Amino acid sequence: MGTSSKAKRVKAFWFILPAAICMLFVHFIPILWGAYISLLDLDVYTLADWTSAPFVRLGNYIKLFSGKFPVGQRFLRSVYNVFIYGLVTIPVGYVIGLLVALLLNREFIGRTFVRGLILLPYITPDSVAYNVWRFIFQARIGLVNKILLKIGLIQEPIIWLVGKRALSAVIIASIWKGWPFACLILLAGLQGIPAELYEAAKIDGASAWQQFKMVTLPMLAPVSKTLLLLNVIWNFHAYNQFYILLGGSVGEAHVPSTFIMQEAFTNLHYGLGSAMSVVLVLIVILLISILLAKRRAGYES
Amino acid sequence: MSKRVFLAIVLSLVLVVSLAVSGQSKSITFWLMPNAPDETHIPWLEQKAAAFQAKTGVKVNIEIIGWDVAWQRITTAIATGEGADVFQVGTTWNPQFAATGGLEQLNINEFGGKDAFMKANYESTTYKGKCYGIPWFAETRALFYNKDMFAKAGVQPPKTHDELYAVAEKIVKTFGEGSAIALAGTNAHDILHNWTIILWANGGDLLTKDNKMALFNNEIGVKSMKWYVDLVRKGYASKACAEYDQNQADAAFINGNVAMCYMGPWNIAGIEQQNPGLNYGVVEPPAGSKRKASFSGGSNLVVLKASRNKAAAKEWIKFLLEKDNMVEYTKNLTHMLPAQVEVFADPYYETGVWKTFKTTLEYATAYPPLATWGDIENIVKQEFVNVLSEYVNGTYNDNTVKKHLDAAADRINEVLKKER
Repeated sequence: MGTSSKAKRVKAFWFILPAAICMLFVHFIPILWGAYISLLDLDVYTLADWTSAPFVRLGNYIKLFSGKFPVGQRFLRSVYNVFIYGLVTIPVGYVIGLLVALLLNREFIGRTFVRGLILLPYITPDSVAYNVWRFIFQARIGLVNKILLKIGLIQEPIIWLVGKRALSAVIIASIWKGWPFACLILLAGLQGIPAELYEAAKIDGASAWQQFKMVTLPMLAPVSKTLLLLNVIWNFHAYNQFYILLGGSVGEAHVPSTFIMQEAFTNLHYGLGSAMSVVLVLIVILLISILLAKRRAGYES
Repeated sequence: MSKRVFLAIVLSLVLVVSLAVSGQSKSITFWLMPNAPDETHIPWLEQKAAAFQAKTGVKVNIEIIGWDVAWQRITTAIATGEGADVFQVGTTWNPQFAATGGLEQLNINEFGGKDAFMKANYESTTYKGKCYGIPWFAETRALFYNKDMFAKAGVQPPKTHDELYAVAEKIVKTFGEGSAIALAGTNAHDILHNWTIILWANGGDLLTKDNKMALFNNEIGVKSMKWYVDLVRKGYASKACAEYDQNQADAAFINGNVAMCYMGPWNIAGIEQQNPGLNYGVVEPPAGSKRKASFSGGSNLVVLKASRNKAAAKEWIKFLLEKDNMVEYTKNLTHMLPAQVEVFADPYYETGVWKTFKTTLEYATAYPPLATWGDIENIVKQEFVNVLSEYVNGTYNDNTVKKHLDAAADRINEVLKKER
């Protein structure tokens, strides 16, 4: 027994090794490398020979959090933006997804077809979908303004993609793009609920609303938590929708990914960019730990 | 199993060795931007690469990279020492990349000496007095106008900023709001170039002469930016211009919907392709309160310091600069202006719109060759976007421009302290 389990372990070791090596080189080493760069004043002068960049310890982090530097204020603003973005897109996407999932969970002719159809926004590539949305939001030729003008809500075309409305425009497009995924996951969850539970509830005289509240929602909780977890991670890395919709005019609507991209790769402040990335990773890890801890607690109860 | 492991090791060794060998073989990689439409550009480049290979035995791998991604591709190449041996950079990028230490220092005398090139273009290749690139072609901006619309409105091309307002007023009366001029807004990567033309014409400048302090937030700067924003506020330009990129502004003019636009010689190819019937003219940019001014830009060819084939890369640059190749490339393909004095002497450039561009280029201004130029440009651009955003949000007032220019100046003064 001892020898065979040892042989098994050796075998497992060999199976894991290639993946582990790949992970080491494409994930872990670059991550540590990035964390190290965040302690350097790596900029245009040291780009070609970055090992000679001066070691500034926590200098880059101080720049971000001391409140004395515009770049820090702008970064914090971008973190705030991504929280707002997530706080709107995640719940709204969830509610739409749930409503549609409930509809699609009933028997009707052509159900499979409709189920496939609702996935369309989700399977459209980001670049295509958000470019179309960019057209929809254009001030002069965009569909949104055309409709709003027609029904008389506005008197003259308003500009969506610049200034204070930019974030709302991105949020609307993202909800459209994101809800089918929530729907797909929740539909799978709904189908996993045993029919007996509903029958039992009916026998106890529960109304449709009571059934939903007492059976459906609690049974969907594990799926919902996974969904929430994924959405939080994705939201924090939101980049495509902002980059494509707002392009050069991200302005006040920066989120961390676009801001890091600009600072590190356009303005060549790699040290500062790495520091911001580290902060972003820490925030995401913190949020995930909270969610996972809650989830474990949920399972135990 | 050990046999398989052995095989895997052998295979990976073969891979490593072959990679190493291919690196030493006689080939170079050349990155350039879409300077002409692909349909004509690519065949020409392939033909020239074949001629070069026949002559020198060096194969040239050509890759066309969009302007929007070029900056990142090049910085990656500089940081890693991999990617391209020789590549095109915008004149405003050259000093910054030189400062990274990633570009090969070049001896201009090997390429005909500095007097062979337009002065502003040669200066753009320098950083701290040393040369890190070879001017390839030049560009400048002038005012394109729609002759038919001008005739209908009964106006003449404007010679000054004030005249431009007066002309715009009449055009708007004839053709409606937003029809006078197309402007690039928040999405234009070259919005700065369009504004500095106005700033310089009014006698202002971005930085002090010694490049130590921001200067553009003074009275002249505020006046110049207000003049620009007022084109939209007064309805001469469409309100939608606030969100335009340069292509959208160009398209509005090229489609014949708008009467004026600040554009460059490369747009001529666009007009020929998209609306050959457009009856347009080109005049020098209208003068401001102090002088006539325009922006001097263009592209240079540079060699990556980490390249294993620097000699071949330099030969390729020399080959591209040969007079016949240069004339073909600028006159027929790209409609850019040659950066070489000799090619520019061609009588062709004394005719039609080219005469205007040539005259304009003679007094056009280039940006100072600073390592932190990219930063400076981005900061002004960001604050410019903020000004336009305030306009869109309806919070624009008399102090808006001053407020944002001051903010930009503060940030830029910080950046300039880092300049070595």
